[in-house]
Amino acid sequence: MSPKPTQLEDEPIRDPDSLMRNFERLGYIADRSLATAVFLITKLHKPLLIEGHAGLGKTEVAKVLASMLDTQLIRLQCYEGLDISSSAYEWNYQKQLLAIKIQEAAGQTVEEKEKHIFSREFLFERPLLQSILAQDVSPVLLIDEIDRADEAFEAFLLELLSDFQITVPEMGTIKAKHVPYVILTSNRTRELSDALKRRCLYHWIDYPSLEKEMRIVRVRLPGMEEQLGMQVGRFVQAVRKLGLEKPPGVAETLDCARAVAALGSSRVDAEVIEQTIGCVAKSMEDGAKINAAGINNLLAQAS
Amino acid sequence: MSEEQSEHLAASIVEFCRFLREKGLSADLRRTITALEATKMGGVGDRRLLAYALQASLCSTREEWEMFPRLFEEFWSESYSRPRSASGEHQGSSQSNPRRSQQEEEACSTVFTDQTGGSDAAQDGDGKAAFGASAHTRLKKVDFSEVRCDDLAMLEELSLRLLRRMSLRLSRRSAPSNLADRVDLRRTIRRSVGNGGDLIDLVRKGRKPRKNKLVILLDISGSMNFYSLFLLRFAYALQSCFHRVDTFLFSTDLVEVSDLLRTRHLPEALRKLSQRRAGWSGGTKIGGSLRQLNQLHGRKLLSRETVFVILSDGWDTGEPELLAAQLRTTRRRVRKILWLNPLLGLKDYRPITRGMAAALPYVDVFAPAHNLESLMALERHL
Repeated sequence: MSPKPTQLEDEPIRDPDSLMRNFERLGYIADRSLATAVFLITKLHKPLLIEGHAGLGKTEVAKVLASMLDTQLIRLQCYEGLDISSSAYEWNYQKQLLAIKIQEAAGQTVEEKEKHIFSREFLFERPLLQSILAQDVSPVLLIDEIDRADEAFEAFLLELLSDFQITVPEMGTIKAKHVPYVILTSNRTRELSDALKRRCLYHWIDYPSLEKEMRIVRVRLPGMEEQLGMQVGRFVQAVRKLGLEKPPGVAETLDCARAVAALGSSRVDAEVIEQTIGCVAKSMEDGAKINAAGINNLLAQAS
Repeated sequence: MSEEQSEHLAASIVEFCRFLREKGLSADLRRTITALEATKMGGVGDRRLLAYALQASLCSTREEWEMFPRLFEEFWSESYSRPRSASGEHQGSSQSNPRRSQQEEEACSTVFTDQTGGSDAAQDGDGKAAFGASAHTRLKKVDFSEVRCDDLAMLEELSLRLLRRMSLRLSRRSAPSNLADRVDLRRTIRRSVGNGGDLIDLVRKGRKPRKNKLVILLDISGSMNFYSLFLLRFAYALQSCFHRVDTFLFSTDLVEVSDLLRTRHLPEALRKLSQRRAGWSGGTKIGGSLRQLNQLHGRKLLSRETVFVILSDGWDTGEPELLAAQLRTTRRRVRKILWLNPLLGLKDYRPITRGMAAALPYVDVFAPAHNLESLMALERHL
């Protein structure tokens, strides 16, 4: 669902408000505080750490920022055990071995050989290195779910985030020509180190108000009937108050609205909700909790 | 904005950061500088935008993020060219805290003051070491609830020593690595350069063994009175051999004490602990406390590397269904649940209290914890 070509304001990041309007044109409803934070990334060249529950559009911020600035989005998905060789750089060993064999006859000194096989030509560039090698314009670097990577990796990130440089022991330090715009996201499955947090701006994304959620539904699902969308939005808001293990985020609201529309019913009633319950409840217990609270009750609260 | 105005604003922001630090936020120098830079940028014109810009630069956790708007209003309630003097006014409020905590101290420190009194009395006779090995063996087996006052100091010393030895043993244990046969190409090639490019030694790499995390939930309700102090020591000793230990006390409410236990000096930690408001010797609501833990800290602390230890006798005055449901939630997230019950040391004890019976299906290891020997035996489960 790529957004249709939109007319952006001439100077997209003059101030937070113009940035907010441009985000909306690209299909992202940001509130003023988020717009201010993103505005500050572009002005201060500091990374922004966005925390919040799943499904509230943390990752989306980076994508929209990249498309607004018309620049490349470089994404690094973090996972347990992520290390330098898959995040920053890796030597091309096969090529190095070949080069060593070819050079055998060439009567060079060991130093010359070493210098040759440890040059840029033999380096695989992974996302972090790519982000600082950009030649003409600053890219957007998204480091997604940083809380899943382990502490050692976090420590490695510090050099990148404060000086925008990466040190390759065999080659020396590579410094960014164009400082990337960095966005980190975290689901708070663990506390991040203080050193990392100190280097970042911070934003907490909370569940949206009904009004904001409806604006999101309108922007993302343009064909949706207003009344239907409203009912779904209200229902999800009521479900969030139940204290589920995984409360539904905005992504779930959109899924649910799409599902309801696909079923072709004209209004949201208990039967429709039951059919689409999987969009909102992501575990057996959560489903049972919604049923126990009574779908009709929730719908009544909602209207 | 004229130069004078902007300088004024900068001074106010520095003052504001000091105010935030007094309120417990970590608005340190680095963040202060970021805040100053942020406000210097054009475009942060009106007051709300200023608030948002400061919020983004000065906060770094959700808690700080949520406290911020109120603090901002409090400080900048007048026009921000004339901030209130933060230092004078707010020192007053911080001084009122000690007074309150003193009362609390009197109210809840009985457990610890009893204890220090006991050890003082016992320290008179240093010659007691002459008891030698036999006394030690006896003390290892004695139930914590039956320790005589004059044995207390010795038991304490012994427990620290034994538990320390246990943590050494634990940390020397290494997990076998099944990935040890992966060739580390990077190092191999580097080494081969010296041989003119012939690969002679293959360098291999394995995975570093990971230390587990430990979450301890310690019952300090009335029925656990005799045991809680020793078990707290146990929790303290375990810290040295785990990647991370988080300790919570509970009776009817949950209190986190991990920060206090993370010190080198145990007596100091215990003294501070007695000042923290917790329901010492109160009733027991295991289910409710567990729910608090799951909701507030679950996502952060409970994972597949976590060993979860509950130290309680299972006398629960809450709903057993709640306990079972919460324990099930916890069980799904963690590697292992250990339930240590001091009463299990009694010969004819059967886990038939409603709470205990409801909990057992979700517990991986159910073991006694009434004397030192039983605590030492736990090492193989951790």
